[in-house]
This record gives sequence, structure tokens and C-alpha cells, in this order.
Amino acid sequence: MNRDLVFGGACLVLAAGYYLMAAAIQDSALSDAVGPQGLPKTYAIVLGSLSLILILRSIRQPKPLSPTPDRRSPILRVAGMVLIGILYLAIVPSAGYVLSLAGLIAATTYYQGGGLSARVGVVALSGAIFFWVLFVAVLGIPHPPGIWPSLF
Amino acid sequence: MLLFFTSIVPAACAGVAWGILGGALPGISPSITMALLLPLTYTLDPMVAIVMLASTYVGAEYGGSIPAILIRTPGTNAAAATVTDGYAMKLQGRAGEALGISLYSGFVGGLFGLAVLVLLAERLSTLALAFTPQAYFALGVLGLSVIASLSRESLVKGLMAGVLGLMISTIGTDPVTGLTRFTFDSPELLSGVAPILVMVGLFAIGELLAQTGEKGWQAVEERARIVFPGPAMWRRIAKPQLIGSVIGTFEGCMPGGGGAVSSFLAYNEARRWSRHKEEFGHGSPEGIAAPEAANNTVACAALIPLLSLGIPSSNSAAVLLGGFLMHGLLPGPMLFVQSTDVVTGLYAGLLAANIAMVILGYLIMGPCIWLVGRPKPYLMAFIYALVVSGVYAIETSEFQVGLALGFGVLGYAMRYFAVPLLPMVLGVVLGFMVESNYRRALVLSSGDHMTFLQDRISAGLLVLALVFVIGSLARHSAGTRHPRAI
Repeated sequence: MNRDLVFGGACLVLAAGYYLMAAAIQDSALSDAVGPQGLPKTYAIVLGSLSLILILRSIRQPKPLSPTPDRRSPILRVAGMVLIGILYLAIVPSAGYVLSLAGLIAATTYYQGGGLSARVGVVALSGAIFFWVLFVAVLGIPHPPGIWPSLF
Repeated sequence: MLLFFTSIVPAACAGVAWGILGGALPGISPSITMALLLPLTYTLDPMVAIVMLASTYVGAEYGGSIPAILIRTPGTNAAAATVTDGYAMKLQGRAGEALGISLYSGFVGGLFGLAVLVLLAERLSTLALAFTPQAYFALGVLGLSVIASLSRESLVKGLMAGVLGLMISTIGTDPVTGLTRFTFDSPELLSGVAPILVMVGLFAIGELLAQTGEKGWQAVEERARIVFPGPAMWRRIAKPQLIGSVIGTFEGCMPGGGGAVSSFLAYNEARRWSRHKEEFGHGSPEGIAAPEAANNTVACAALIPLLSLGIPSSNSAAVLLGGFLMHGLLPGPMLFVQSTDVVTGLYAGLLAANIAMVILGYLIMGPCIWLVGRPKPYLMAFIYALVVSGVYAIETSEFQVGLALGFGVLGYAMRYFAVPLLPMVLGVVLGFMVESNYRRALVLSSGDHMTFLQDRISAGLLVLALVFVIGSLARHSAGTRHPRAI
């Protein structure tokens, strides 16, 4: 299965789902000639048609598995990076901005092959404090303080 | 006056410094450098924010030439044309001279582009007061027609990306009836998906994910110092600089042109018109001057269609458009009427940025080399931290960070499937304008579609869009039949 086929198939499914959701949008007394469903339905039909063209073309002219010769990372490694971001989002409300960000920096450094050492920890904590100074102290943008203020 | 009595100069300097540092990092394109800065500008005054972003573009185009010359790795796509002669000069022990030519040529190109921008942008926008909903719809369609020329590898995939962008633009409250669409009962989605989240996700996080697991870049020679060209060299590189500036102007205005295309075109033309053709590829100063003048001209010329018509012609221009939208400014015909101070400030800021580039380019060469020499895992970790912190800062919402992360995954997937990113950005940015004006025009005309042809500006723009699409399709068709002819 080549990449165009996978992309075309995914978009076809998306177009079908989007069309069904567009069709389910309620009408309004204020509605115009096109209505709130009009253009979304059109977009879904266009995307579905283009997906079919891509699928048919990829079946008729199959490309090698790696049509993009440049740098590409293994999907699992990429998923790990995304997971680090998700974990950050999960802990930031309770652990607070500085600690969570230090965790994100340390985890990313380790995950990217930077090893796990005291230096990584120091750099991560210093980095998190730097970002706190930049965003909270200088720019005045509040970031989640976590549970810490309630403890003291 | 503007330069001396406002914060334009510091903003321009900060933007240029950020741009040079970002551009110097291989893999971090000008658009990504700008996307990383975008959330940080949220709390700034709109004029200062726009100047900072535009200055970043200017700085990044120069910054890309630093690793191109020193380690044979272009920091940006546009700097790829500089690699051959820049690195050859470095091998001859003339790295400082090559860096000086690059910096000086970028300065000349930037000033040329700025002059053209000031002369042309406002004239194009004089149509402003005559614009009706029909004309705005047609303008949106013209913007979307750009997709055809942006999809070099696969027109179908480019169109699919554009439609996906249009679909994202329908999320939120319907522009006419006020009904909610595709919000999944989430209050955070009621106002739609902010283009900035899409851009930061697709460009910055997507690239971060794509870089995962790759090797670090080569260490940089710590002794490199810029040597500015003398009068004899000025005379020698004047012609290639002019060639680069003219090509950069045309390519900057053309959708899909951008710095990379203009750099290579300028390099080829400079070689064609040179008296020292044999030196090209072996350390020719002209081989650096032409592409560097071209890509810095593009940084200003790309603002012509953006400011006057609201159409971004490149990824970087799209991110700048995101900056305008984030501050409630709508580039296009009305910008020159409603926000003249921003436009004037931008011109002044670009002038300051080009001057600052020369000074900062010299001063921050050391930090640049230091930065490129840092271990890649640390750099990626800090970029990740900057992105999550910056996106949170926009609306102090963790949901937005999650959304940007989601668009990052989408950006990675699009790179994986070789789907162009810019068509999707165009769809997101122009989608609301197209739909709201299309429907408003139909309400005004009682549902008569002929209204789009009866309005002269609308008809003209639609014809232009049609010509554009047909031309792109013809080029695509020719390219498909004769793939080796490119």
C-alpha cells in the first residue's frame, strides 16, 4: 500500500464523516439561500472526489513506498514526542508551569538522545525558570501556578 | 520620526536578531522562526508586533547563509544556492569575506525590495473603497487559486490540502445565522480555530516532529569573522546584486515563488551575465551576491500581494498574515485606509530592519556560531518549550496548546504524505472571508449568482483567478508529460 493510497483513503473517510455532520446542522429562520450546511457539504463533496482521484491514480500508477526521499522520522519516535507534549498538558494544572516545563525540557532532551544526567536536570530547570521570567515576569502572561500557592 | 520616537527600532532589531539566530539553525526555515515568535508578539502593540515579525523574515533570510557558508548546510531553503560558492570560498580560507558579501548583498536586496514595496503596495490598494462583498468573495477565490501554483508535486494533493483548510475554517459560529458548526459542544471552538494555532502546529511543531531522531549538524568553525567587501568588490558584485534584486521582486510577488526559487534563478542569471563564469562553483563572490540579494528582496516584495490584496505568496508571508489577523488587522484593500499607521510603521520598521541586519549580522556572528554548535537534543527541547509556552500565552488556554499539538501531528502527517502545507493555511485564512462574503452577496442579490459577474471588480478578479488556474494547470500538464524538462 503506498502513501497516496493511505492519504486518499483517510481523506475519503474524513469527507464522508464531515458531510454527515454538515447534513446534521440544523436550519435557521435566519438562513440565507445557501444556509450553514451549503458550503461545508460542497467542501466534503470536493474532498471526496479529489480523494477518489488520488486513490484511483495511486492504484493505476503505484509509487514506491518512500516517495519522499528526504528526512523522515519513524512514526513511533514521533509519537513519543507527541506523548511528551500530552503529558506536559496533563500535569501542568497541578504541577505548575515551571516544574512541568522543566520536565518537558528534560524528557525531550533525553528522548532526542541527550542522555540523562545532572547536567540535563540543571539545564531543564534553568530553562524553565528562563521561560517563566520571559512570559510571566516580563510579558505579564499568567501561566498555571499549580498546587504550590495553596500549600504555602 | 517614527523610527526615533516609537519602539519600532528595538522591535526591528529584536526581530532581525531572532531571525538571524533562527535562520542559522539548519531545518528552521524563516516561516518556522516567525511561527515560533508569533505567540510572543500577542501582548505587544500591533504595529510593534508586525514590525518584529517582518524583521524576523529579513533576518532569517540572511541567517540561512551562515551555516551554508560555514558548514555546507543551508539554514534555509533559500540559502541552498549560496552553498556552492560560499563553502568553496570557506575552503579557500575566505569564509569571512563570503559572509560579508552575503550580508552586504542581503542589505542591498532588502532596500531594493522595500523601495518596490513602498511604490507598489499602496497603489494596488486604491481599489479599497470600491470593494463590495462580491469583490471580497472574488478576492478570496483569487487567493485560493494560488493553490494551483503551490502544488508543484501533486495538484490533487495541493487541492485536497486547500479543501481541508476550508473545512477547518467552517468550525465555529456560522457567519450568517450564528448557528454553531463542528464544535462538538466545546465552548473553546465557538470562535473557530485561530489561524495562528494552525500555523504554529503545521510549521513549528510539525517540523520539530519531523526532525525527531535525525542526526545533529556538523560543528562550526569558531574563528569565522565577517569581512565587509571593499570598493573593488562592491563594483564587481553590483551587477549580480541588481539581477538578484529584480528576480527577487518578481518572485516575491508571485505566489509560490519565494526565496528558494528566486535564489536559484538569480544564481543562474548571474552566471549567465558574468565575465567570470568559470569561477562559479569554485568560490565566486557573484555566486553569493546574486542569491543573497534575491532572497532578501523577496522578504520585502512578498509583502506586496499580502498588504495590498491580503494574499500570502509564501509560507513566511502566511505566518505574517497570521500576525496581522491575531491583532485584529485585515491585510487587503482596507488596510491602507483603516490602519495607515501600521503600514507606515511597517515600512519604517523594514528600513530599520535592513540597517540593523548589517550591524547585528556582524555583532551576533559569535552567538550564532555558538547556537549552531549546541547539542541538537537541547535545542529541540527548548524549541518545544517555547512553542507550548507561546501558544498557551495567546489565550491562556491549555486546550489551545492541545489543538496546536494536534495540528503539529497533522503537519508531520502532511510532510510524511508529501502534501504541501501552504494550501491548507490559505484555506484556513481565506475560508471565512470566502464563505461570509459569498453568502452576504447572495443575500443582497436575492440569491442571484450573476451578481458576481455584474460587479466589475468581482468579475475581473474571478477572470484573473481563472487565468491563473488555467495557466497553472497547463504548466502542470506540461510538467507531467515532460518531467525531465524542469
